[in-house]
Amino acid sequence: MSHSLEPSRLMVALHALPSVLLQSAFFVVPLCMTIALSFQETQYYQVQWVWSLTTWTEIFTTYYYWKILFNTVLMSLACVGLCAMIGFPIAYALVTRFQKWQATIKILLVFAFLTDAVLKTFGWVVFLDQTGPANFVLNFLGLPDLPDWVIYSRVSVLFGMVYTLLPFSIFTIYLSVDMIDKNLLRAAYDCGASKFRAFYEVTLPLCKNGLMAGALLVFVLSLGSFLEPKVLGGGKNPMAAELIRQTFETRINWPLGSALTIVVISITVITILLASRLLDLGQGRKK
Amino acid sequence: MTMDKFNQSRKRAGRSPAVWAPDPNRRAVLKGMAATAMTATAGALGPGKARAAGSMNYMCWEGYNDPRIVDPFEETNDVSINFDLIVDSPGGFAKLAAGGHRDFDVVSTDSPWVQRMGPANICEFIDPAEFQDVYDKFYPQFQPPFEPLQFDGKTTGLPTRWGWVGPCINTETSDPDEWKTWDAAFDSKNKDKIGIMDWGDWPIMPMALYAGIDPYKELDQAELDEIRKVLRALFANSRALFSDLSLSQKALLDGSVKTLVGTGTYSTSGLRKAGYENIVAVVPEGNENKQGIIWLEATAIVKTPADIDLAKAMMRHVTNKEAAYALTLNDFTSNPSPNRAVEALYTEEERSVLQLDYVDTVWENSVLHKVAPNIDDLLVIWQEELANAN
Repeated sequence: MSHSLEPSRLMVALHALPSVLLQSAFFVVPLCMTIALSFQETQYYQVQWVWSLTTWTEIFTTYYYWKILFNTVLMSLACVGLCAMIGFPIAYALVTRFQKWQATIKILLVFAFLTDAVLKTFGWVVFLDQTGPANFVLNFLGLPDLPDWVIYSRVSVLFGMVYTLLPFSIFTIYLSVDMIDKNLLRAAYDCGASKFRAFYEVTLPLCKNGLMAGALLVFVLSLGSFLEPKVLGGGKNPMAAELIRQTFETRINWPLGSALTIVVISITVITILLASRLLDLGQGRKK
Repeated sequence: MTMDKFNQSRKRAGRSPAVWAPDPNRRAVLKGMAATAMTATAGALGPGKARAAGSMNYMCWEGYNDPRIVDPFEETNDVSINFDLIVDSPGGFAKLAAGGHRDFDVVSTDSPWVQRMGPANICEFIDPAEFQDVYDKFYPQFQPPFEPLQFDGKTTGLPTRWGWVGPCINTETSDPDEWKTWDAAFDSKNKDKIGIMDWGDWPIMPMALYAGIDPYKELDQAELDEIRKVLRALFANSRALFSDLSLSQKALLDGSVKTLVGTGTYSTSGLRKAGYENIVAVVPEGNENKQGIIWLEATAIVKTPADIDLAKAMMRHVTNKEAAYALTLNDFTSNPSPNRAVEALYTEEERSVLQLDYVDTVWENSVLHKVAPNIDDLLVIWQEELANAN
C-alpha cells in the first residue's frame, strides 16, 4: 500500500515544483533582497553593503514616518468601511432585485473596473476642478460651485480610493449572496421571521465570508494607494506608497525605502493573519 | 494604396516611413508580429553595453532623441543609438550608480546629477582644452571652469540646455508686478491659489533664497530651521502639489492657481509654444540674495564607454548649432541653449517662446543651480513638513 502512495507523492511534488520555483523567483527572492537591503547604508547615493541597524533605528525613531503610516491605515479602514456599506446593497440588489439587468450591470462594473486607474483619476480631477464640467453644470442650473474640499483634500483621496476599489467589494459580496441557499430564507419566513429578521439572522451571517474577503482585498490594495493621494489629494495628504516613492526616487535612499516597504508588507501580513483568525473563530463557533 | 504611396504621403506630412503597410497580407502581419516580439524581447533584456563599434547606448531626457538630432549623428558616424529615456534625474542617477553605468555610453540629465557622477566615479572626466572649440561658441556664463559641472577641479560634462526657476504666472489672472517678490506666495489673499511642483530640490532652493539663506553653502541648524518655517508657511498657503506637468499647466491656464512654485521655463515654454503668450516665467528681484535659480541639463560620458571617441563626438554633436536648435524647441518644453550661435536661428516667435528678451534680467537675479551640501537634510524637511501639512 505504501509503495503505491510514494509515486503519487512524488507526482504531487513534481506538479508543485513549477509553482514553487516561480514563487521563489518572483516573490521570495525579491522579498529576501528587500529585507537584506534594509540592513545596508548609503553613501553618496550608492548602497554600501555594511550590515547595520541605522535604517531601522531611523524608522523607529522618526515620528513622521509613523504618522504617514498611521494615516494610511486609517484611510484604508475608512475605505474598507465605505466599500462594504456601498458594495453590500449593490451586490444584494444585483442578486435579489435586478436579475433582469444583472448581466448588463456586471458588464458596466467590469468596464469601470478595467479602465486604467490613471485615466480615471486624472479624469476626476478634470471633472471636479474649479473650472471643470461639474461646476459648469451646477452654474448652468443656477447652483453654487462645489466646495473647495471636493478636490485636493483627504475627502477626495477617500472618494478616489472607494471609486477604484468598490468593484472588489461588490463582486466578492455578490458571490456570497448568490450562493445562499434560498430554502434557508423560506424556512426563516415559515418560522415567522420578518424580512429584516431573516436578513439579519440568515443572509448577513452567510455573507460574512464574502464581506471579509472583500474587506481584506480592499484593505490590502488601499495600503498601496498611490495615485489617489498624489493626484486627487493634491500631494498634501501623503500615504505610505508616496513616502516609499519619495524615499527611493527623490532621496535615493534605497535601504530606507526597503525598510519602509517591509513595514507596509508587515502591516498587510498582520492584517491577513488577524482576518483569517477572526474567520477561523467564526467557523469554530459555528461548529 | 500601396506601401510606397502610403509612405510618400507620410513623408509629405513630415512623418517617417511606415514599416507596416495599410493593406497587409497574412505573411506581412506575421512578419510584423515576429519583429514586434523580437523588439519587445530585446527591449526587455535591456540595452547591454554597446561593445561593437557602430552602436551607442544613451540615457537622456526626452527631446535628446529627436530625429533632427539623432539622424544626422547616426548617418555621419554609421552608428545606431539605443535610447533609455529617464523620467526623473535622481532615478536615472540611481540606475547608473547601482551598476547601470556598465550599460551606457553617454548621459544627458540635470547638471547636479552629472556633477554627482564625479564623486560616484561613474563618469569620464573631460578635458576642457579638448572641447575649447565647443566652449568658444558658448555664452561667457558657461565658460570653463564652469562650477556647476566641476568636481575636485575636474569637468564632469558639458552644459546642453538651461532655463530658470521662478514664479510661473498667467498675466490674465495675475499681475506680474505682484511677483517681483516671493511675498505673494505667502500672502493670505492668495491662500489656496498657490501650486507647488513636487520636483525634488527645485521648489526648495528658491524658498531658501527667499529666507535669506544661500542653500549652496554648508547650512547650520538655525538656517535649516528657518527654511523649514518658510516651507511650512508655503504649504499652508498652497492649493496643491503637482508632480504632473499637464495638471499644473491646466491649473495655471484656468486660473485655479495664481502661480507655480518650483518650476519656471520648463513648465511655461510648452504653453507659450502652443500660443499662450500670457503664460510667463519670471524671476523675483533680490533681497539680500538673488531669488531665481538657473537650472541646466548637461551631457556626460559614462565611465568606460564602448567607444570614447564616439561618446565625445556625441557631446560635440548635441551642443552644435543645428542639434541645439532642435533641442531647445521641443514640443514638450522649450529652453535656451548655452551655444550663442543658436540665437541667430530663432524667429521672432521662437524668441518669444523662449522669453529670450527677459534673459538678461534672469541672469541679474539668479544663481546657478548645483549640488547643495545639505540637500539630504532639506529633502527630509520637505518630506516631514508635507506629512504635517494637513
